[in-house]
Amino acid sequence: MGKYLLEIQELKTYFKTKAGRVRAVDGISFSVLPGEKVALVGESGCGKSVTALSIMRLIDQPPGEYANGSIWFDGQDLLELPESALRKIRGGQIGMIFQDPMTCLNPTMTVANQIAEGLKIHLKLSGKQAHQRAISLLEQVGIPDAAARGNAYPHQFSGGMRQRVMIAIALACNPKLLIADEPTTALDVTVQAQILELINGVCSNFGTALILITHDLGVVASMIDRVVVMYAGKVVETAPTEELFTNPRHPYTLGLLASIPRLDEARTDELKTIEGAPPNLLNPPAGCPFMPRCVFARNICRTLPPLDPLAGQEAHLKACWVDVTDPQEQLYAENRRQARLENVKALTKEAAALQTIEEQ
Amino acid sequence: MDVPQQVDLSPGENEPFWELDETPELVQKRRSQGRIIFDRFVRHRGAIVGFFFLTVLFLFCFLGPLFWRLDPDLIPNDVITSRFTAPDAAHPFGTDWIARDELARALAGGRISLLVALTSMAGAIILGVGIGSFAGFYGGIIDNLLMRFTDVYLAVPLYLLLFVLSATFTDGSPKSVVILISIFGWTYAARLVRGEYLAHREREYVLAARAIGAKNLSLMFRHILPNVAGPIIVNATLLIGSNVILESVLSYFGFGIKAPNPSWGNMVADGQGYFDQAPWLVFVPALLIFLTVLSVNIVGDGLRDALDPHMTER
Amino acid sequence: MGRYILRRLLQAIPLLILLSLFMFILIHLMPGGPEAVLFNPRLSAAGRAALRASFGLDDPPWLQYLKWLQSTLTGNFGTSFTTYQPVSSIIATCFPLTLELFGSALLLALIVAVALGMLSAVRHRTFFDYALTALSYFGISMPIFLFGLLAQDIFGVQLHLLPTSGTSTPGYTFDFFNGLLDHFLHLLLPMLVLSLTFIAQWSRYMRSSMLDVIKQDYMRTARAKGVSFFRMLTRHALRNAIIPLITIVALDFGAVAGGAAITEGVFNWPGMGLLFITSLEGRDYPVLLAMLMLGAVFVIGFNLLADILYAVMDPRIRYS
Repeated sequence: MGKYLLEIQELKTYFKTKAGRVRAVDGISFSVLPGEKVALVGESGCGKSVTALSIMRLIDQPPGEYANGSIWFDGQDLLELPESALRKIRGGQIGMIFQDPMTCLNPTMTVANQIAEGLKIHLKLSGKQAHQRAISLLEQVGIPDAAARGNAYPHQFSGGMRQRVMIAIALACNPKLLIADEPTTALDVTVQAQILELINGVCSNFGTALILITHDLGVVASMIDRVVVMYAGKVVETAPTEELFTNPRHPYTLGLLASIPRLDEARTDELKTIEGAPPNLLNPPAGCPFMPRCVFARNICRTLPPLDPLAGQEAHLKACWVDVTDPQEQLYAENRRQARLENVKALTKEAAALQTIEEQ
Repeated sequence: MDVPQQVDLSPGENEPFWELDETPELVQKRRSQGRIIFDRFVRHRGAIVGFFFLTVLFLFCFLGPLFWRLDPDLIPNDVITSRFTAPDAAHPFGTDWIARDELARALAGGRISLLVALTSMAGAIILGVGIGSFAGFYGGIIDNLLMRFTDVYLAVPLYLLLFVLSATFTDGSPKSVVILISIFGWTYAARLVRGEYLAHREREYVLAARAIGAKNLSLMFRHILPNVAGPIIVNATLLIGSNVILESVLSYFGFGIKAPNPSWGNMVADGQGYFDQAPWLVFVPALLIFLTVLSVNIVGDGLRDALDPHMTER
Repeated sequence: MGRYILRRLLQAIPLLILLSLFMFILIHLMPGGPEAVLFNPRLSAAGRAALRASFGLDDPPWLQYLKWLQSTLTGNFGTSFTTYQPVSSIIATCFPLTLELFGSALLLALIVAVALGMLSAVRHRTFFDYALTALSYFGISMPIFLFGLLAQDIFGVQLHLLPTSGTSTPGYTFDFFNGLLDHFLHLLLPMLVLSLTFIAQWSRYMRSSMLDVIKQDYMRTARAKGVSFFRMLTRHALRNAIIPLITIVALDFGAVAGGAAITEGVFNWPGMGLLFITSLEGRDYPVLLAMLMLGAVFVIGFNLLADILYAVMDPRIRYS
């Protein structure tokens, strides 16, 4: 309760598979203020989508399970609500748009009807009223000739248009929170900007809070208030956007920011990467999940670092034992990075030599 | 963040933690395509059971006479007393109304029924693939003509036509029944194959093969055919089942395999008249038909799941 | 779409004519024409000749065909060789019975198969699902005549519950209501047997279709909108899953003529199928031809209906 619209505490979402229990989300916590725009960033497989789906309990119960944690929304724990109460929140208080607009709409229902469906359920509008409001929503999201197009079917729209329809559906009942799961990943680059602008605009206009899931940091920089960085099912850092970009404190965030190619870099420089791969979520290591790939790693990193605010800055939290701004640490890290590169080069040479021998 | 005091931080005592071999296993062991299919098939316990049953059945019917020496056509001298004997040690399936051994008859009938089903399936598939591949690959007029031709076939009610034809053409021998069923079984396969060829015709690998000069026939049969083999194999397997049923229905009504050739279908028809005295005369062939078709269907489904890459677990 | 229908209908005409020729030839190729079977052996030679002439059997085959074609196109299907009655009236008596049997079986099967398929998909991998799958396998693996025999044996002979053949109990005269009841009781067994064979196939199809649909993203969208489970099942899942099934049902209905023969044969139900078998044995050409043509018309008609229904139900399909 209190000032936050949404407060996630120690959420754990696991999946039971034949190979074992996959810990997709392994104890994450973050909050969203009313009207705030938050971004959830991280690489593929870090648990961002699962988090989003967990908020509305859209994960299929077998094989998924909500092993722990609570999701406080407007004073209620969404994980404890009975299904009937939760259904009122889905669409009514929280709206969601998904990644692939091509498959997210029912092919046998007109676009207006799909929007009107939610209106009839949550706002109890009559058929005609719902239809009218649906048309006006279509106009607001930028569908030309909305009155006629409303009676068209999804396959008659392009990808960008369909995503607009999805936005209309999600916002139809004026929800307090909009969750957008990589809404532009499946769209053309030119359309991406339009859709993001649209989302930004409607959220600002209606005061809807936004959780935007993306792996594109450029998008984050332009419209987001606060960023939550996830890795291997855990939150590693969270801060207001500008603070994060100018003063990143977690080695992973550093790596992410460094890997973005810059316009002012020489074209011939090698792109910077973070070597290694994310850990196996079936059996994640006990300590910090980033440790195997981290150049700043220490012995103490075998214990999971808590997500704590920086000294003197309540809004910026990180989960790391190390102070990456310390020059000594940076030197140490640089040495390790060089050593690692040498290692990789040597091993590649060895592998290449072996292969040529094999081929002969 | 302040580093806790107990932390071990001096560079000298820190060994690098990250070794190449500590990274998680990124690459799964690669299995050959055949192995993948085999593994998926084996996962279906039902399919395995069905497969074993079919193998046993085939072995029995075709190798059985080597072990079970009784002649299916032999009418013993003590006909009057030994007819209608219930299943016992000497005659595991009993004897029929003229004291012929039912097990031997079942095996003989099985030979014919199974052979008919298999060969007519082969005939239908060959015809179907032949016609369908040309229709689908060339498209245009050829496709139109062939499909109209297929429509004519499909427009006629199958059983009615078969009844008429068998009255005309067949002499009750297995060979004529095989020809009959093949001539009418190809239509579904042809449609299926045509659809697949139409789809694959535009795929990149075909364009690539064309670009290096592959000729049409080679394209159709060396390049595309292996890729569309999956649904064809499944269809072929299920076709065996429907052919067994088809042949048994025809024989039952007196239109397919006729006496003196035994087939499970006409054995049921014959046994019907003696049902009160000797119910096993109906049950034995009926059960055999049913179990065969059941196994074939289960195996066919197992194949479908194994071969179709898009199928997820059902 | 109107133009598409028109085009299909126009295409059907030459098809039917071609078919009629094909079948005429086929039928006349059958060994042992009607004379061998039908004509009274005690007829004098003159009587025989007269009979032949009256049936037009003296004309060369091509003339017979043309005459038949001409009379058929004007609605006269000729006269039966066996009963000397107009073919159209014979068929008119038999057809309603077949329609009754098939129609009721199909309707029942559709409802039950859809329900079972949906239930099976929703209760995926539970006992119910496995049980239904097993039963479906049984149903499709059993030739229908076996099924019929089994049913007759169990319900008719052993349990004495239901009559096993014909449309009415012989030897009784019923008043209207009791007659209806008697007829219904006779209908029950063949209808249920036929129904079950369809249910076995269709429920598997429906289940597979539902499973496909349930996995789709738009189901998740519906859930995220707060749609109730029931509405998700009916308006979203069912509405999409039933589309391929409807075309199958239409096609199966078109196969009425063929499938009827078997069931009617087993249960002695005097509909078109039984008529066909007896006419075949009797080499009754006009009846055979008329029935084959009728069967073809049915198949072609319902094929067209299947395509139309598909376009109506799935907005993504539009014919030019």
